[in-house]
Amino acid sequence: MQTSYVKALYELIKKDQNVISCLSDSGTDYDELIAREFPSQVVNFGISENNQVAAAAGLASCGKIPFVYTTNAFIAYRSYEFVRDDVCLQNQNVKLVGMGCGLNWSTLGSTHHTTEDIAALKVLPNLTILSPASPKELEAAVAAAYEISGPVYIRMGMSNEQEIFNGPVNFKVGKNQVIKRGTTAAVFVTGSIISAVLDAAEQLKKSGITLQVINVSTIKPFDEASVVNCCKKYHNIISVEEHSIIGGLGSSIADIIATKNLSAKLTKIGLADAFAKGYGTHDEVLAANGLSTKDIAQKIKQACATV
Amino acid sequence: MTKQDLDKTLKEIRKEIFLTGYSVNIAHLASAFSLVEILYSLYHNQHLHYDPKNPDKDTRDRFILSKGHGSLALYVMLAREGIISQEQLASFCKPGSSLGGEPVLNSVPGIEATSGSLGHGLSLGAGMALAKKLDHRSEKVYVLLGDGECQEGAIWEAVMFAAAKQLDNLIAIIDDNALQKMGKTSDIMGITSWAEQFKAFNWDVQEVDGHDVAALDQIFAKPNTTKKPRAIIAHTIKGKGVSIVEGDARWHWRLPSKRELKTFVQELNISEEEIASCRPAM
Repeated sequence: MQTSYVKALYELIKKDQNVISCLSDSGTDYDELIAREFPSQVVNFGISENNQVAAAAGLASCGKIPFVYTTNAFIAYRSYEFVRDDVCLQNQNVKLVGMGCGLNWSTLGSTHHTTEDIAALKVLPNLTILSPASPKELEAAVAAAYEISGPVYIRMGMSNEQEIFNGPVNFKVGKNQVIKRGTTAAVFVTGSIISAVLDAAEQLKKSGITLQVINVSTIKPFDEASVVNCCKKYHNIISVEEHSIIGGLGSSIADIIATKNLSAKLTKIGLADAFAKGYGTHDEVLAANGLSTKDIAQKIKQACATV
Repeated sequence: MTKQDLDKTLKEIRKEIFLTGYSVNIAHLASAFSLVEILYSLYHNQHLHYDPKNPDKDTRDRFILSKGHGSLALYVMLAREGIISQEQLASFCKPGSSLGGEPVLNSVPGIEATSGSLGHGLSLGAGMALAKKLDHRSEKVYVLLGDGECQEGAIWEAVMFAAAKQLDNLIAIIDDNALQKMGKTSDIMGITSWAEQFKAFNWDVQEVDGHDVAALDQIFAKPNTTKKPRAIIAHTIKGKGVSIVEGDARWHWRLPSKRELKTFVQELNISEEEIASCRPAM
């Protein structure tokens, strides 16, 4: 994902001299390559995310288009008030890009996990929230963020995510996309955990369960119509997210079901009001927290077995 | 302008600050009083370059009141300079007004940033100053900080950043009135010299009597040849202009009682009619 981000950003930096990559000691070798070619468009703020976010708002107020890139948790939690007051409240054209959402920082523990960011940030007015599922979709999200005049937050993985799109990506802000068709239940999923859901869907075919898998790549504004349409066709609605089940994707769907007076049974799969535990590879930490492909398949099967 | 005329004007500004706040029973009076000469020098004596008829013009210098609770001093100055109307000023904190207790971006012309939560303004200003540098522009960015505000950690992130990036177009003015809500800043956080702090972070530091307009004029006009961002430590008196308020931390967020009002009336030359027209909900 990081390579895709830098690739997409490079294209923007090349095209528009107002695009500024704002790092807080958070760059990679690829960022250094951009800095070599466009030195004035890459700024390292040092290890100071609050200043990085607020200064980005200052840059934006003078016509720059800053892309603030740092460890996801530091944007979502440490800099929250700066995101709120300087970026969202002042509606500045700042792009916040969180590197390593969910449990991606799998060996560093909960300080680096980002499993409450959707809950924390989706309440902020003016903020668009993008949650791309694959490298190609991330590239499309970065390009789309540039086109939006206002604050955008992109949460991205960093664990060699699989590409789920064979051809070109049909990415539209505010539109969910059906990735797999099925009849037993509709599964809404956000972020790169979609690969596990697609694998689970294959496994469940043997049990006679076929899943409609919907990729939610925009958390805000939420594609309400896709929930409304699914509730007309499916009794079982399931959400899967690498995030707390409080305030995340599942909660957004629950809001729509309740406020639109829809009839459906919602099962939320994610972290159940707990900080994630364990160390290891990303897959191993997902497994330690009940979010492996096998766990997801089992939970979906269970949900489909009950009315 | 004679010294007598200047003193009269400064007293009028403090009177306008007081009456505007008193009319709605809300004000950080003491915090606003300590800024009067600084803002007068910047705005009226034209160290801050802008076009009053077109205050949003791209070529303007920018001013951020990071200690947003001093807003009344800024609003009064913007009204005196014709950037906002007297009607707008009179609407302060009333239903339907654009002017609240803390400045809000785009609420009226002349407000460059939303402030209120302390510790944001210097980073915002550093971002603006960096943008100007990247565009090879000569405009300056002024950020007014409270000395108490300098206890916020984010200020020092911005201080390091601005020095590292040689933002010599950034000027931080520290309203060093040595007081915060609960007492002396030196007692509460132990810092006795902001000048030394900023020097240690490689800023160009100037110190000035923050109530001496001529001295402020001189400092603001002084060229910066250092390639360092500049910190102007303005030594001020919190509550300056009303004897019972001066230097007393208890006045951070309060208005006078009926008895105390007499001192305000006397020392700021307020008429009975002016007080009566305020109709405070006491």
